[in-house]
Amino acid sequence: MAAATTPGTLGRTLRGAGLDRVLPYLMLGPAIFLVLGVVVYPLIEGLRSSTGFFRFGRMVRSVGLDNYRQAFADPAFGEALLTTARFVFLAVTIETVLGLGLALLLAREGRFVRRIRATLILPMIVTPVVVGIVFRLIYASDVGMLASVAHLFGLNSPQILSNGDSAFWGLVILDVWEWTPLLFLILLAGIQSLPVEPFEAARVDGAGAWRTFVDHTLPLLRPTILVAVTLRAIEALTTFDQVYVLTRGGPGTSTQLISIYGYQTFFQFQQVGYAAAMLFIVALVVILASGFAVGLMRSRGR
Amino acid sequence: MTRDRLNRFAWGVGALTALLFAVTPLVWMLLTSVKSNREITQETSLIPQSLTTANYVSLFSGREFSAYLTNSVIVTALSVAIALALGTMAAYVLARFRLPFGVHRYVGFALLMVRLLPPVVIIIPIFLIAQQLGLLNTQLSLIVVYATFNVTIVVWMMESFFREIPVDLEEAAMVDGDTRFTAFRRIVLPLAAPGLVATGIFTAIATYNEFLFALVLTSTPAAETMPVGAATLIGRINVDWGAMSAAGVIGALPIVLFSVVVQRHLVRGLTMGAVKG
Repeated sequence: MAAATTPGTLGRTLRGAGLDRVLPYLMLGPAIFLVLGVVVYPLIEGLRSSTGFFRFGRMVRSVGLDNYRQAFADPAFGEALLTTARFVFLAVTIETVLGLGLALLLAREGRFVRRIRATLILPMIVTPVVVGIVFRLIYASDVGMLASVAHLFGLNSPQILSNGDSAFWGLVILDVWEWTPLLFLILLAGIQSLPVEPFEAARVDGAGAWRTFVDHTLPLLRPTILVAVTLRAIEALTTFDQVYVLTRGGPGTSTQLISIYGYQTFFQFQQVGYAAAMLFIVALVVILASGFAVGLMRSRGR
Repeated sequence: MTRDRLNRFAWGVGALTALLFAVTPLVWMLLTSVKSNREITQETSLIPQSLTTANYVSLFSGREFSAYLTNSVIVTALSVAIALALGTMAAYVLARFRLPFGVHRYVGFALLMVRLLPPVVIIIPIFLIAQQLGLLNTQLSLIVVYATFNVTIVVWMMESFFREIPVDLEEAAMVDGDTRFTAFRRIVLPLAAPGLVATGIFTAIATYNEFLFALVLTSTPAAETMPVGAATLIGRINVDWGAMSAAGVIGALPIVLFSVVVQRHLVRGLTMGAVKG
């Protein structure tokens, strides 16, 4: 600092320099403090709970890894995992195909197109609990929208939520309705940032729309698709709100996703240690998937 | 020429189908909410024959629903504000400073790991800790939990924004006599405003919509938020479809209004939040 000749500026510079030295810690501190208190500490407590046996909300003794062994021996846990995997696979696949179609359809500019886009993302903004309500109003066997439509054509009301298979598909369709917009948005951003040259070259060569899509759009878009699919799949793995409102996991266990089973194990059956262990296993799966996603994003230079 | 027209026709059909698919379920909820219960259960008409506000009146006849609304607004506003304040500061440090022993790198990585952790994994310990501290069923517990999750999103989103702002600008301000913090406040923050807006929108929507933590941590209208209120209401009434649809409309209304207000920044906020957050 060349200007530090008069005592006044020198003092200010010194004070400034002193403060500047601790400044990064002062600015970083509060955020780290929050995360340590609200995530890291509970995480450690949770690990401890997952090795404990609880009575009336208190850990009475340690049982080592018994809770984890119980999880792998529990057919309901395995079934919930399987249901979740089926749900995620079906929902995310359909969402990706529809989202990609929509993104291709609406990857152009104009006020009208912007309006359409803004309307299409409504489902992903609406509160998930409300989405659950919306689909109960659609599926309700006596008064729902589908029942009313069927009535109009003189058909019997479809019994969607009282049958295991159709309830499961009802949940998949709910998820598709709610989250296709997310895939659409991410893929749209991807399409809009594609280089122009290959497409101009293809047009000069007289390639048709389908060939251009298969030869250029799809390969260039592959990284974005992978990221979008992974991100959506990770979130779908812990779907809870909509199931809680729509079916609570029923009928039977047909829509019992892993988070619903964990919640019920904790709140209804009061098996605190077992529920904690179960959720840790789920977290492990999700973290592995996330690590995969982060790797993908890094490799794209984001 | 005809091929062109055919293309445009196909485009219109596609766009219209998508719009109908997205909007019809919401419209059906809205229509149900203004039908009388007799019409809902007996006539199964698609379009309401006579409009009624009875469902909304009965919804707000108890105090609960206005309480849910207030709780949601308070909890969302405070937790987003806290997260933006603390998160931007932390993100700035991570974007600009090289701390001894590579602390900044570890912190950045740790915050990212926290962000990737599915929240459901700490729901049980959070409940037990809140119980021990006597914080169950308080707005405070929700504000603290949401602020923390939001902070990790803010750091993750804002860090890249700060990196894109040239360092020269702050250095010039500091040569002119600003302290580093003043330079951050006066020069960097205004330049990062678009990022702040996008981040704020994403976190506000996610916070208002959050259900699991609110369900576990709160149990009466003293602290219950709108999603919990709506879910418990429909758990209680079960077949009162009019009230259920009105609750759905009221539950969704604040967030839909909010997104209309911020419409210009919405798509950007959601896309960035999804990819980055």
